Amino acid sequence: MLTRRTLGALAAAALARPALAQPWPPRDLTGIIMWGAGGATDVVARALTPHVEAALGAKIVLQNRPGGVGAIATQAVHAAPADGLTLLYGAENPQLHKVLGLAQIDYADFFPVNVIARGVGVIVANTSKPWTSLKALVDDITANPGRVRMGATGPGGLPHVIGAMLNAVTPVRVIAVPFDGEGPGLTALQGGHVDFMPVGVAAAAEHIRAGRVKPIAVVNPEPVPTLPEVAPVTADFPGFARYLPWGPFYGVWVKRDTPAPVRARLVEAFRTGAANPAFVELMARNGNILMNISGDEADAFLKRWQSVTSWLLQEAGAARRSPEEFGIPRP
Amino acid sequence: MTPEHVLMSWLDPVLFAATALGTLAGIWIGAIPGLSVTMAVSILVSFTFAWPLEPALALMAGVFTGGVYGGSRSAILLNIPGGPAAIATALDGYPMAQRGEAGAAIGLTTLASFLGGLIGVAALALGAPAIAEVAILFAPRDYLLLAVLGLLLVGSLSGESLAKGLFAAGLGVTLGLVGLDPMTAEPRFTYGSVELLGGIPYIAAMIGFFGVAEALSQLRLPDAEPIRQRIGRIVPPCATLLRHLPLALRSSGIGVVIGALPGTGGDIAALMAYDHARRSTRAPAHPFGSGAEEGVIAPEAANNAAVGGAYVPMLTLGIPGDAVTAVLIGALFVHGLKPGPMLMIETPHLFWFTVGNLLLANLALLAFGLAGARAFARIAEVPRAVLVPLILVLCVVGTFAIRNSLTDVWWMLGFGITGYGLRLYGFQPGPIILGMILGPLMDASWRRTVIAAGDDVLAAAIEAAGSTISLILVAAIVLIVLRSFSRGKGPA
Repeated sequence: MLTRRTLGALAAAALARPALAQPWPPRDLTGIIMWGAGGATDVVARALTPHVEAALGAKIVLQNRPGGVGAIATQAVHAAPADGLTLLYGAENPQLHKVLGLAQIDYADFFPVNVIARGVGVIVANTSKPWTSLKALVDDITANPGRVRMGATGPGGLPHVIGAMLNAVTPVRVIAVPFDGEGPGLTALQGGHVDFMPVGVAAAAEHIRAGRVKPIAVVNPEPVPTLPEVAPVTADFPGFARYLPWGPFYGVWVKRDTPAPVRARLVEAFRTGAANPAFVELMARNGNILMNISGDEADAFLKRWQSVTSWLLQEAGAARRSPEEFGIPRP
Repeated sequence: MTPEHVLMSWLDPVLFAATALGTLAGIWIGAIPGLSVTMAVSILVSFTFAWPLEPALALMAGVFTGGVYGGSRSAILLNIPGGPAAIATALDGYPMAQRGEAGAAIGLTTLASFLGGLIGVAALALGAPAIAEVAILFAPRDYLLLAVLGLLLVGSLSGESLAKGLFAAGLGVTLGLVGLDPMTAEPRFTYGSVELLGGIPYIAAMIGFFGVAEALSQLRLPDAEPIRQRIGRIVPPCATLLRHLPLALRSSGIGVVIGALPGTGGDIAALMAYDHARRSTRAPAHPFGSGAEEGVIAPEAANNAAVGGAYVPMLTLGIPGDAVTAVLIGALFVHGLKPGPMLMIETPHLFWFTVGNLLLANLALLAFGLAGARAFARIAEVPRAVLVPLILVLCVVGTFAIRNSLTDVWWMLGFGITGYGLRLYGFQPGPIILGMILGPLMDASWRRTVIAAGDDVLAAAIEAAGSTISLILVAAIVLIVLRSFSRGKGPA
């Protein structure tokens, strides 16, 4: 069955792409996931890959190589040959590795096969808090500087960046308490150990729906389909608009100098896979916005994201090295 | 109550088979050092991607239950815990096997695991929402206090010298700090190496310090006659069971609570139960550390009770109780469900299906556990020339499988050689692993506590004084320390 499918795909590939001297891929591909099993990146990778395998006519063997906020997986794929047989399944993190002083490799060293989807942030609060709007929250923080506790996930994480945006739009002083991830942070929020937290809609949607946390505002220029009732941050603070849209994203990369025909083959397979209705539905259900872009379009998105976020961190005093050092332009 | 869903996996042959086979596979996977339950369940998520939801969940619940139990097998027979939850089991299980009582030790652990598992399921079925609400009230400071409580275990794990135990625990804490600082992402002890940014997994250390070090120790006496095992009686006599029942029940209680806490799992539960057994048993037939039956019952009851405990916050709130349930939450996503607080309200059948399924998995554990005990006990009789190379191969494979990293394999081998040297001088590996598990928990919890109080330690202490949970934990710590002093044994 597999052989027939593989042969069929190879035959089709040979017809469609005469530029490839030999049938490609010659063997199974390896996909290295930069986050652990069960996390957001892992779920996206494992849900998408079967559809891509069908389109590619080859197997992609997935491995989790978590650690170092994605630096280890990025390094591993970068060390592999540029033959398109080793794929990096990643999230936004490497785009901040330079300014955070973690590594010298980012997505500029890779070719974006597909930027699959992006997430949207939402600011949620403990249900016992009186706030009903972002303005009320900000007023309370201003009245009690350094008293209100914000859940966070460490430098460069979504809460940290959205906190920096808020601070840039309207100066606020909060206590940021870092947790091991969005899940543990939301748990602490429900236990009353922090007062509010910016998190991904994907992580918070079900807790909001159950009324266990209170949505304050979505970090997007307009309301999102998953949370149609929740006001966008720009309603109270139009200044947010210049950073948006912003959010975590998930994608697949190969080394930049991978041969063009191989890139094209992968781009095609991932574009078909990411358009599969089952996958599209999963993304919508998780509160992600499907992007399914590649090549120059994806590169432009990645550059803008890096520029906006790096300079935000620089202005918030959270960057260890200035984006200027790496030639990252101001947004 | 929807009893038809409780019985779903009992009546449907496919689900029944998935649960039973999952449990059997779990026992084997769990028994192989390094092949962890988390890993097995993660692999199954992609393997069962195209399956309907129920058989996938049934298989994973079986692997979870069987795997936690399976870790005790290699702990007893080879002195190599199959997973971190079985570290405590090796302390008295292996000496039992050395006395020729491997069969009896397996029998006891099987019954203790079964009882613990049942209590875990009962807690899940009867008290899940209430337990989950209490679990989320645990603040960072309470995790800090739990870690302190855990550190008092060093005394129980040190062997003959507390000083050497403290040294080993300190080494473990230091190793646990390698990698990115969890608060600031500052690289610590990485010396510019990208591979070290990810830290050193404590499983790699566990495999090295226990597995390789044990293999090397056995090589010292390659021709030693293997211990003849008395395998006539696997199921212990009724009187023995009744005598140990109260301890098994208390240990299961520890397991449920620690398992249900989102920040801790079966590994800490088992170690705490072992410590509890040491402190509460007045006159064991054999002293602890030389094959006390209580020393295998307590951790095994606790780690299997922690399975049910871990499902509590997962099913009621969509919050993972441990690493395995975190993977299960990902699996629910892939299968088109929305794990979260609404899961139990909108799909209550899933909750009752899981309860019935775990019950079945525990029965399968009992059946497979007792049926295979005699054959397994014979492993202790395998000549060393065959056993030692086999152990080394499994150690390498298991370590590589943690996160597909060759660096981890080198670390593991290095730890093995170091561990062998330490062992010759009377340093125990238990406190090292304890340090690696508790060190990062203490580090993060302490800093979270102080940060949340506005960098004011006094304010943090005042806040703790107003919390019932914190006061109970402080009282427990004070009581344990005072009692140790009053018995003249020194602290811990």
